[in-house]
Amino acid sequence: MNDTPRSRPARVLDWFDRRLPLTALWRTQLSEYPAPKNFNVWYVFGSLALLVLVLQLATGLFLAIHYQPNPHLAYWSVVRSIQRDSRWGWLIRDMHVVGASAFFVLVYLHMYRGILYGSYKKPRELLWLIGIFIYLALAAEAFLGYLLPWGQMSYWGSAVVTNFVTAVPVIGKPIAQWLRGSFVIGLPTLNRFFVFHVFLMPMLLLALVLVHLIALHQVGSNNPDGVEIHDNLNETGWPRDGIPFHPYYTVKDLFAVSVFFVVFFWFVFYRPDGWGFLLDRLNYTPADILHTPSDIHPLWFFLPFYAMLRGVPDKLYGILAFAGSFVLLACLPLLDRNPVRSIRYRSPLYKLDLLAMPLSFLWLGWIAHGFATEHNMVYGLHVTEIFYASFLVLPFFNRPRSRAATVAWLIATEAVVGSIDLWMYSIHAHGWDLMLLTDWIPALYLLLLFGLALLRPAWTHDAARLPGRLTAGGVFH
Amino acid sequence: MKMPLTSLRASRWLPLCALLLTAVAGAARASVQTTQPPLRPIRIDLQDQAALRTGALYTLHLCVACHGIQGARYSELPPLLGLGKATFLKTIGSNGRHYHDTITSNMSTSLMMDFTHMAPLDLTEIAARRSPAWLYTYLTSFYVDPSRPTGANNVAFYNVAMPDVFAGMQGLQQPVMVNGLRFGSPARIAVGVRPLTAGSMSHAQFDATARDIVTFLYAVAHPHQQERMRLGPWIIGLFVVLSVLTYLIYRLYWARVITGTQRWWRVE
Ligand code: HEC
Ligand code: HEM
Repeated sequence: MNDTPRSRPARVLDWFDRRLPLTALWRTQLSEYPAPKNFNVWYVFGSLALLVLVLQLATGLFLAIHYQPNPHLAYWSVVRSIQRDSRWGWLIRDMHVVGASAFFVLVYLHMYRGILYGSYKKPRELLWLIGIFIYLALAAEAFLGYLLPWGQMSYWGSAVVTNFVTAVPVIGKPIAQWLRGSFVIGLPTLNRFFVFHVFLMPMLLLALVLVHLIALHQVGSNNPDGVEIHDNLNETGWPRDGIPFHPYYTVKDLFAVSVFFVVFFWFVFYRPDGWGFLLDRLNYTPADILHTPSDIHPLWFFLPFYAMLRGVPDKLYGILAFAGSFVLLACLPLLDRNPVRSIRYRSPLYKLDLLAMPLSFLWLGWIAHGFATEHNMVYGLHVTEIFYASFLVLPFFNRPRSRAATVAWLIATEAVVGSIDLWMYSIHAHGWDLMLLTDWIPALYLLLLFGLALLRPAWTHDAARLPGRLTAGGVFH
Repeated sequence: MKMPLTSLRASRWLPLCALLLTAVAGAARASVQTTQPPLRPIRIDLQDQAALRTGALYTLHLCVACHGIQGARYSELPPLLGLGKATFLKTIGSNGRHYHDTITSNMSTSLMMDFTHMAPLDLTEIAARRSPAWLYTYLTSFYVDPSRPTGANNVAFYNVAMPDVFAGMQGLQQPVMVNGLRFGSPARIAVGVRPLTAGSMSHAQFDATARDIVTFLYAVAHPHQQERMRLGPWIIGLFVVLSVLTYLIYRLYWARVITGTQRWWRVE
């Protein structure tokens, strides 16, 4: 310690530090927190999601002040009180609407980043699992909020979803009734959805995100090379490939925030309804209990799951298919046990599978965007099969496989898909012609994957050597 | 140390391929189910206060007989139309309502149900949902259809419940029919109209009036349109400038990391 007199601000800080570890937190979590030096653009979505969370809380606060959770008043309280009668209300509302969709864009990219670089593998399994819970809470938050403007799609969308819940045996009906607070969507439903949306879920989300960050700082960040920086420390115990989060990543994230806001505000000012994707056109019409719209569907971020629900010709199994996709995501650390983390050093066919995953997801979304025709339902079923397959074949890539094992994998997976389709034939779920025309979709994918594995065994081999150190710093050079 | 390792950097091309392939999958999807009649193109000018005034006059005197415009208050209109409060009340008026009231329909819901078997729809809501071109097509293409209870049908809105309130101004019209699909089944579809009888206005006059109504409806349903256009470029410009600045700061800080002179990262 030196004896030079401390300045006044420093003494104020000292006063606080003795009572609250401000400086210590700043140091350990930011200015002396080691982050890998090679984060690329995929690593900005976490901080951006945090930003949008704050944005949603702030704009939501002002909306809640003018909103009336009552079926007679709700629609006009949004369209008139908020959007016209209160100053800047239109801007706040559009920011909240665009923010909701931005949240999902960011979180989907954030999750896919985790998949690309194997961020769910040891020691980050729990971090990943917490992430899944965040996603579920976020989905619930969005679903609850969608009822509040009391438009046609709000009303009928919620009706469809709460109706699906009734398909669960024994507990389904009581749960649906409890959710609605009634036998139909009405005043009790709107009241409780409002409270859940502005109070319960935001609290839960904040708590989960805090736990997410604590868990992240406990294990440290992964990176695009998948190399653990803490395995290579210098004499002072600092990771050789680490740089302090602040200022390096704070300045980088600030850049990302600025670019994000350019896009965000372009939507807010010029396309607040995002061509009907961010705010359904049908929702301009107040809810009408006597008039069921011919085409009910959720907002874009739930469309893939909606395709799964619709694709399976049985409500209960549909729910299982939908819920199963979250189980699959949560089980990624168990499915993919290959020691190589990053996609950069994984085999070509593994890369193909990681391409099939988001592609089938987007394809499902596109299918659900269309009408509930039989054609779309059958495609929904088959593309759901591809989406599931893209997860379930992951163990195949865990280690080198013999030809016999490859053939066995091909036969087993085709048999699973085949028996699902046979079951569809047996219950006459869809016309023969349509089924025969489309059965090949998942079958072909599996044939392609394992066929190529047979023909070109090298394509199942991961990189022969992994880098011991990170290969580059920053993505912008 | 350099790695002898060639990686595909899949993380960079994966999302691109994903986008491309979905676009292809989307384009391949056949989906034509109902033959859509062509919309009449229209240009509206929200600054044109003469058009807005004509539109307001017709809307507040004709349409409000059945439709509400509940999103708006009478008091919002004078600034929009470029009129003083007194002139507004004298020339267009507030239908006997309080000046700060919202614009509600003049007809009760039960009476409306008797006439059209429908509760009145709100024009703020309709004009937010429909495009100007759709509204313009709709307003100009009512045609005579004896099979309908109102005696009228509409090119843009098949089997519409709204009567042809323009018969006097525009005259009656007959449909131009083609063979097409309705919900996947073959049907005769109206794709345009031809004049049948003359009205009190010429065709050009009526079309101009319809355009004025659409202009007014659009303005009332998008009250912050001008503000958006005025503010948007500034806010977006601000963040473009900030992007450039923060990028420069980012490069400045990272120069040390990139050249390897940074204290924590030195290649042995
Ligand atoms: C006699 C009552 C009546 C009058 C007057 C009237 N409408 Fe309508 N309007 C209706 C009814 C009823 C419907 C509902 C039609 C349906 O859904 O089948 C309707 C529907 C509409 C629609 C289409 C709604 C939709 O769902 O897209 C528009 C646009 C419209 N009216 C505009 C106007 C305008 C503009 C005026 C004034 C020039 C006007 N209406 C005057 C009764 C009326
Ligand atoms: C509200 C939503 C979320 C917020 C605010 C958030 C925030 C963050 C932040 C700030 C980081 C560090 C920066 C980064 O690596 O990008 C991070 C890392 C991470 N997040 Fe999230 N997250 C959210 C949702 C999710 C979800 C839904 C998942 C997965 C299901 C997830 C999984 C992960 C993983 C695995 C990491 C570590 C990644 C790595 O080190 O490579 N997060 N999160």
